[in-house]
Amino acid sequence: MTTDPAIARTPRGEEIDGRRLLAVAVDFGRALRAAGLAVDLGAEIDFARALGLVHLAERDEVRAAGAAVFVRRRDDRAVYDRVFDRFWRARRPFPSDGPASPTTLPEPETVEPPDEGADAEPEAGIDEAGAEREAGTAIAGYEDLPPDDEGPVEGVIAAPDAYSAGELLRHREFDKMTAAELRDAERLVDLLVPRLEQRRTRRYELHDHGRLLAPRAMFRRNLATGGQLTTWVWQRPARRPRPIVVLCDISGSMERHSRLLLRFIQALAASSAVRTESFVFGTRLTRVTRLLRDRDRDRALSRVAESVNDWAGGTRIGESFREFNLRWARRTLRTSGVVIVVSDGWDRGDPLLVETETARLRRNCHRLVWLNPLAGTPGYQPLAAGMRAAYPYIDDFLPAGTVASLERLGEILAGVRAGDTRRGGEAAATVTSAGPSHPIRVPVALETTAGDPSVARPLTR
Amino acid sequence: MSDRASRAAGTRSIEAIQDDFRERGYICDRSLSTAVFLALELGRPILLEGEAGVGKTELAKVLALSLGARLIRLQCYEGLDVNTAVYEWNYPRQMLEIRLLEARGEIARATAHDIFGPEFLLRRPLLQALEAVDGADGAAAVPPVLLIDEIDRADEEFEAYLLEILSDFQVTVPEIGTIRAEQPPRVVLTSNRTREVHDALKRRCLYHWIDYPTRQKEFEIVLARVPDAPERLAREVVEFVHRLREADLTKVPGIAETLDWAAALMSLGARELAPELVDETLGVVLKYEEDIRQVRGDTARRYLAEASVRP
Repeated sequence: MTTDPAIARTPRGEEIDGRRLLAVAVDFGRALRAAGLAVDLGAEIDFARALGLVHLAERDEVRAAGAAVFVRRRDDRAVYDRVFDRFWRARRPFPSDGPASPTTLPEPETVEPPDEGADAEPEAGIDEAGAEREAGTAIAGYEDLPPDDEGPVEGVIAAPDAYSAGELLRHREFDKMTAAELRDAERLVDLLVPRLEQRRTRRYELHDHGRLLAPRAMFRRNLATGGQLTTWVWQRPARRPRPIVVLCDISGSMERHSRLLLRFIQALAASSAVRTESFVFGTRLTRVTRLLRDRDRDRALSRVAESVNDWAGGTRIGESFREFNLRWARRTLRTSGVVIVVSDGWDRGDPLLVETETARLRRNCHRLVWLNPLAGTPGYQPLAAGMRAAYPYIDDFLPAGTVASLERLGEILAGVRAGDTRRGGEAAATVTSAGPSHPIRVPVALETTAGDPSVARPLTR
Repeated sequence: MSDRASRAAGTRSIEAIQDDFRERGYICDRSLSTAVFLALELGRPILLEGEAGVGKTELAKVLALSLGARLIRLQCYEGLDVNTAVYEWNYPRQMLEIRLLEARGEIARATAHDIFGPEFLLRRPLLQALEAVDGADGAAAVPPVLLIDEIDRADEEFEAYLLEILSDFQVTVPEIGTIRAEQPPRVVLTSNRTREVHDALKRRCLYHWIDYPTRQKEFEIVLARVPDAPERLAREVVEFVHRLREADLTKVPGIAETLDWAAALMSLGARELAPELVDETLGVVLKYEEDIRQVRGDTARRYLAEASVRP
């Protein structure tokens, strides 16, 4: 028998070639990475080790072992399963003894990544190293699959907020913002960030104005005097700005205003002091936080535009809020954040749903701010059913779309406001799923309340 | 070969783990026991994510029992820091010691060791896990199981510190030196996924998402955990809860709620579900007023009718 050090004995007594295991692990890891999972070399090594510990012939065991090592989040599991099935489809169970047993599987092919621009690395490196790698370890090339297959693993959601570009209905000029608007927004943010509303956290920081003694720091500082407590050190609860969540309506009429606000949010997110999460919604909700973090701000906004494919549809506020409440609220608002909704309130869905979901949203956050581009026009009353339904639960109802409104928003976020009007909270506490406590009257005639045509107009039904 | 001896010899297998857990009343599926097996063999921490009440914390407890190891639990919350999690000096006692030395006139000969000796060090869970050696068996000391519960409630500073500890399994106390674990503890982290655990920490761990169980599995769990429950009651309870899980509720009941409900019904002497009984005890399963209001009454009766029809 060979004394090759790479040949090891598994706990089951089979002989296995460590190099082959590692090669397979690396290839599988590469396939997963091509499908969008974050896979690093450490995980591949772990998988190689894991393969030596499980029954290689048992597909489910291998699958479970790979899942434990490669799948880092629940959302990735579906992607993992698909890649796993494809990768191991044509593969026979590992031959359990050493060198070449003749097989008819072809030479390993290049793993084709989807069209996201990743490079297709040829497997020349592995082939050279593993001359003895008989086809037992061959990766089934995608060309080998029967023709009714879909080809490489495309269209699988890579990162949860990177969507394929193929479904656009209409492409909007989302990123053509004037330089003046951009500068204004950014200037505001620079002024704003140091003043953002702080909340007390449970961590303590040393501060001369604290009310609580800081025993550890005191003892350290007083060691010089042999424990005589001559220097007193104080602490107080550390303060941090509240996290901000933005829910931005980007259907039809709202687009111009949401653009400005997303610029504002980009600038805010760029300053690391504040945790911001951004979502856009039309007929459904899309998280765009990561997209907006792009350094190139114009490109970020155009990617946001591409990622949303319901430009032509109406707005479904209730459904979008519901999705946020169910999926995202706990994760993004956990430390009593501020929610900013930007919408004109025109809604195709059920007003009752808007009411219950807005109430729930209010219960999930510290403060609910609603920016409505129609609110600045004189004589505006929230007559639209959706807006009426949500109105009682809103703490601050503001106009949107101008630099002045951003200043007002900044004041609110900084905690400077005339008269604390967190009235939305009480209303939200009393609503139940049995229905609203007051009837919602749907207006008979839908007409615009704005006289100025350049101001946003509601969607026509 | 006895169970314990085979464990000590290191011959562990996925089936053995699954069977042992089942004997102790924890029923898990193959992929979970595979993940646990790999975590033990590869020496990695394991991160369990899932909704509340699916049995993440239970797994750590059962694992400790199965290995015959001590369970050390660190409950995370926002603001958890080194002093609460790792160690703290017992300042008042140190001050007293200084005073005593002064009073006895020995202060001139006192050294740092007198003040910073091990008896003045308060060991918190993470340090306990590093130092613990369970030598009760005699020969083989079993490293403890360290349960870090609800890591998603701790903040990022703590995660960074934890990452350091989980990488090297050592802690440096400036006054004493570096304390290193002879045998690294088996680490289980749990998360309710209220936020994403940091990537660096996830990379360090193996991962498993624990889902709600199937009807059959949950039925077995009820029988295992509530031993005197009549089979019919158990089945109806499980069926009812599964319907609740498909409904649009604010808070979906977990396995813990199923078990609580079964136990509550048993203590009321029930042998099967009845509408009034359900209405009365709904608060055991559902914890939100709007959910209870939604289910109580007609909806509950409908679920009950469906639950009873199935064999």
